[in-house]
Amino acid sequence: MVSASEQIEAGSWRRLLPLTDGEGEEHALLSSLLDLWCRERGARGAALYLDDDDASGAELSSGEGPFPAGPDATAGFERLPLPGAVLLWRPGEAGAPRTEEGGGEGEGPLSLLLALAVSNCRLLGRLKRQSFQAKYRGVELEALYDVGLAIASTLDLDLLAEDILLRAVSLLDARRGALYLLSGGVYRLQSQLGGEALESFPATAAHETPSGLLPGAEHLLAVPIAIEDDRRGILAVGDKESRSGVGPFSPEDRRTLSLFANQAAIALENARLHREALEKERYERDLQLAAEIQRQILPKGVPSVPGYEIAGWNRPAREVGGDFYDLVPVPPEEQSGENDRGLLLGLALADVSGKGVPAALMVSTLHSAIRLLFGRIGFGPRLVERLNRHILASSAPNKFITLLVGELDAASGRFTYVNAGHNPGLVIRADSHLERLPPGGLPVGLLPGSSYRSGVLDLAPGDLLCLYSDGITECASRAEEEFGEGRLVALLRAAADRPLPEIVRAVEEATDDFAAGQPQGDDQTIVLLRRSAEA
Amino acid sequence: MTETLKLRVERRDGLAIIYTEGYINNQGGEQIASAAYELLEEGYKRILLNLVGTKIVNSIGISILIEIIEKMLAIDGRLAFCCLTPTIHKTFHIMGLAQYAGIYDDEAAAVEALAAA
Repeated sequence: MVSASEQIEAGSWRRLLPLTDGEGEEHALLSSLLDLWCRERGARGAALYLDDDDASGAELSSGEGPFPAGPDATAGFERLPLPGAVLLWRPGEAGAPRTEEGGGEGEGPLSLLLALAVSNCRLLGRLKRQSFQAKYRGVELEALYDVGLAIASTLDLDLLAEDILLRAVSLLDARRGALYLLSGGVYRLQSQLGGEALESFPATAAHETPSGLLPGAEHLLAVPIAIEDDRRGILAVGDKESRSGVGPFSPEDRRTLSLFANQAAIALENARLHREALEKERYERDLQLAAEIQRQILPKGVPSVPGYEIAGWNRPAREVGGDFYDLVPVPPEEQSGENDRGLLLGLALADVSGKGVPAALMVSTLHSAIRLLFGRIGFGPRLVERLNRHILASSAPNKFITLLVGELDAASGRFTYVNAGHNPGLVIRADSHLERLPPGGLPVGLLPGSSYRSGVLDLAPGDLLCLYSDGITECASRAEEEFGEGRLVALLRAAADRPLPEIVRAVEEATDDFAAGQPQGDDQTIVLLRRSAEA
Repeated sequence: MTETLKLRVERRDGLAIIYTEGYINNQGGEQIASAAYELLEEGYKRILLNLVGTKIVNSIGISILIEIIEKMLAIDGRLAFCCLTPTIHKTFHIMGLAQYAGIYDDEAAAVEALAAA
């Protein structure tokens, strides 16, 4: 059986000839002339080998074969060169070839007609090849136009990169290709076709392309993808195909690929910006959701505890923050163990190291742990020790939480607390005397096995307790001076008789005035508790 | 080390369908031609090329497809294409293939047209 390749090559003189009804007529004419030529010469058979610009040889035969594979002189065959072709023919039984009427050997009118028909076929073939090339130039222009259109329509970076590579490989008749995008000083493979490609390579000052970019490729053509002189990537193709194999790319190919890469650069940049915008939008959505979750964690109001006023306020420096406070009334029936205490109020105020999402995640962990544990072990040292173990086990190294927790026995006014590395709580006594709630241990999450001791504060009528985070006292002015504990104490003293919400607003306004428009550097939280004067 | 075109041939009542997956270049085109000529030798004169798995074709591949079309026309056969990507669809139109081979959006339409031919 004749292979497909051989069949195609045998008919390659007609390759790209017109797909029209008239095209077959040229072939039929040539075939008829060859038959006639054989009869006239008394030849047993003849084969016509046409010179072909892009094929090794072609044949059209008449009569008894087989015929040699090529047009070289072969024993048993006579050889007649014609313009653009060679005729090999097998002489008839009589031996000596007969000459044509009206001409000498090889110069008769039939040979002339045959030569003319060959010439026509060659001209037709050339015309069709040029027609094919002209049409394919149309495909190239269309591809450039399409990539231009993609600037406005394709915003998916992965799809766009794949499309650009497909078109580049196709346009240049390359066997393979790869597209790289520059990110963080490294060219990273974005899309590949037709074989393996280097996954990544560092960008050098001269932006050289590694020779092994497409392993196994014999010929490589790579051009920069750049906007003006700003490199964004590399478009590379390998091994230009022809019917006979692969070869190098031409300077024209380089110009075409460069033109294509210029168009692609704009499209890719557009898609990259779109992806960044989408990611930012998604991140902001996530942050809004996280902020909403965090708002749910914070108390939605203040519990009612007879004989006391309570207020709480939190303002994160970013969408979400690392400060947290909680107010948990614990009626007698929910208290662990047997005791004769009345209503208890659990208080917690914490400040996670760092800000933003990581800190907010730790706040969430802390909130859950406190809520799960306090009912069984209360708000004393055992709670803080358990929290320390829990935070150490569940958070990244170097992350810790300063924390002040305690429980107020509403009836007696006794506030039993543990200060785990937090800035001291402040007590403004009814006579304006200041007391502090000093630390009784290290921040939680810092060291394993930390122990904590509790402190006791007895609140008398008119006493004001203030728990706060360092975002208040470390609020910075334009001169980089801190608001400081002194200003906070002065403010509390001055406003000690006012309703607690007013004191909170006064703190907020005072820190804002102090910052004078400077961005808030840290989360700010404050919890106020005042034993009513008439209690 | 290049990826070769994957081919699958289905024969149905005088109609043969060649499914392609991959790049129709020189190698891929030769594979298709080989399959098509084998079908011609078996007597199939109506062949459908379903390019559902092909996203790319180059000029060498197109020239081979043209040869197949010519061969089909010479024996009064019919070749049709279906399931082309928009890019390949546009390329085939520009290159003139659409004048001599039917191009259909889906296989059912192509099979119906070939069966009626």
